[in-house]
Amino acid sequence: MMHCLQGRSSFLSFPKLRSIFWRLHHTTASRACSCSKTVSDEKYQDPFKLGRKDLKNLYEDIKKELLVCTAELREMCEYYFDGRGKAFRPMIVVLMARACNIHYNNSREVQASQRSVAIITEMIHTASLVHDDVIDEANSRRGKMTVNQIWGERKAVLAGDFILSAASLALARIGNTNIVSVLTQVIEDLVRGEFLQLGSKENENERFAHYLEKTFKKTASLIANSCKAVSILGCPDPKVHEIAYQYGKNVGIAFQLIDDVLDFTSCADQMGKPTAADLKLGLATGPVLFACRQFPEINAMIMRRFSLPGDVERAWEYVLQSDGVQQTNYLAQRYCHEAMKEISKLRPSPERDALIQLTEMVLTRDK
Amino acid sequence: MRSLQLLRALRGGGRARVAVAVAGRRGLLSAPGSAASWSKVVSEAEKLVGYPTSFLSLRCLLSDELSNVALQVRKLVGTKHPLLSTAREFVYDNQNNLQMRGLVVLLISKAAGPSSKVELSSQPDMVSGIYSSQRSLAEITELIHTAFLVHRGIVNIGELKSCDGPMKDMQFGNKMAVLSGDFLLANACTSLAQLHNTKVVELISSAIGDLVQGIYYENSTLEETRLTDDIGISTWTEQIFLSHSALLAKSCKAAMELAKHDAEIQKMAFHYGKHMSMSHKIHLDLQPFIKGNSTDSVTFSLNSAPAVLHQEFLGREAWIKQIREAQGAGSILDYMKLQEAIKAGKGVTSAIDLCRYHGNRALEALECFPPSEARSALENIVYAVTRFS
Repeated sequence: MMHCLQGRSSFLSFPKLRSIFWRLHHTTASRACSCSKTVSDEKYQDPFKLGRKDLKNLYEDIKKELLVCTAELREMCEYYFDGRGKAFRPMIVVLMARACNIHYNNSREVQASQRSVAIITEMIHTASLVHDDVIDEANSRRGKMTVNQIWGERKAVLAGDFILSAASLALARIGNTNIVSVLTQVIEDLVRGEFLQLGSKENENERFAHYLEKTFKKTASLIANSCKAVSILGCPDPKVHEIAYQYGKNVGIAFQLIDDVLDFTSCADQMGKPTAADLKLGLATGPVLFACRQFPEINAMIMRRFSLPGDVERAWEYVLQSDGVQQTNYLAQRYCHEAMKEISKLRPSPERDALIQLTEMVLTRDK
Repeated sequence: MRSLQLLRALRGGGRARVAVAVAGRRGLLSAPGSAASWSKVVSEAEKLVGYPTSFLSLRCLLSDELSNVALQVRKLVGTKHPLLSTAREFVYDNQNNLQMRGLVVLLISKAAGPSSKVELSSQPDMVSGIYSSQRSLAEITELIHTAFLVHRGIVNIGELKSCDGPMKDMQFGNKMAVLSGDFLLANACTSLAQLHNTKVVELISSAIGDLVQGIYYENSTLEETRLTDDIGISTWTEQIFLSHSALLAKSCKAAMELAKHDAEIQKMAFHYGKHMSMSHKIHLDLQPFIKGNSTDSVTFSLNSAPAVLHQEFLGREAWIKQIREAQGAGSILDYMKLQEAIKAGKGVTSAIDLCRYHGNRALEALECFPPSEARSALENIVYAVTRFS
């Protein structure tokens, strides 16, 4: 994908480049939808390799937490824990756990409680997906039908509630009140983020701040707080907890910004959901908000949540004619850079470096 | 909406009035219907716990999120989305049992008092014999209960018929219901974390899991044929425990844990919560079958205690036959006819027996607490739900 390749090449020299330079460089980036896979770069080793052994049996262990007595409810709860997900969040969590443990006392072990946090993170994430799909009336996710599509909305909401209660139970069993507070904050942020998504601001500046706040609450809070949780379990130094939190927060926001870009540039089969899905839901994400600065005509459409016939198509066209996609990519780079800056404060370790590499992967992913 | 209650509680002051409680026990109170005596017992008990029992924390009720929902729910007026009636019931508090769980948690906390292990001087946050953590727990219990009242009202979009009105309204209602239920649950989780007791978090989380499974069973009996699965009363009891008792039982136990009471006291508190709510549920199930309560529109669940017990005595075959006979054209059930059939059998009397059995078990559990006004109030709640006049 063109923008991805460009994103990567510029990333390598990003710290040296002036932002204006970068923008000029990028106005020529492709707007076309391209399905080609990113060219693999031998220089980058798979950063996930280091965390993979910790995540062995991740989904089996999650299923063990889902103690349900009825077969159908169990089937619904286990539906997304099929091993086909990226397990992106648990991966960050175990890598962060290892990086913090090494930083503190050179320990090469992951504590059982830290691994539990990885499990709980994936469970909270999945519970929120199940509810989001009911709210958005979505019928497909990760290339398969949604829970609500198969079993109906009533049961889907219950399945989400059950996964959340199981996550909360596992959280309590860690036995650390501090960890309970940190991860409970996520649950509150997730629902507040969903509420923020309902409303929109008239003022342009407020609108962008609103979008970033929503992005933090809906996506980044989970990564930030689970990183913080494993750092607390691994190391007593509050400075390290802040590093872990800031890393997770910045990576999380970048991750979502790229997700919003992919909604415009990716193909349906890559994302496992239809493109322009956000516009169809009435949501104005980064690319649209940037495009709006160049094409004020979009304003009215944002305010009516793209509800008139033709709105979605016209907004889509405007976005692709504007530099909205590039600007959003650029913003994501800035967040990734910040994440990298934070994590670099930890003592060097292969896991720390994997986390640094991971910020690049967030920018270059195409699905 | 809570201001009325607030006012009432303020007027009542902190003074307890046991007179009614005592009268209730002796059966001198001649309440016309059980609803009246129930609300009397509840309102008297509320005074015992100190200050107004507005359990849904103001923080939550006054939040931007819920006021947003309140505004949005107005758009649902005129539609058939269940969220509307849930909201209405919530505002008008029509069954008087909406906040029963929080009240019981406070009463049992007060009845148990401070643990002998804990020095009184180190407990400055005790008001009217109840710890502030226990008050939070009461609030949490109500938040969870209310969250699931809201989530129970989600509609299956695929099953809508044209008479249900525009699909768009129903989708919007669902959206609001998922969000507001989640919001209440998230607030419950936050308050729970603030109690700084992982045992309590564990208990309440497992209660949420129980509740979900209970509602799941409840749903499966609502579906399609409306004819219940062939479940005996013991399976019925297990399912009703999950959907109606587990939350209160585990909250009562958690209230004891917060005051550092020992395992035995915790067990008894659990039993009270469990058996009291079982008997409360059976009491509600019995209402359509009790004289003087018959209204024009008699409907009842085929999964209610009297119906399940009736089936147990009659046998599955005969029960299905009775249902067929009560089924008129268009397979609409003649509830009056079915009700008469159940009344003629042993279902109603054995449901009353079952209700009293659970009531007695609840009273037994209370014996581990020293006599007090709070304990009497808990007893009176049992008397109110086991009285059939």
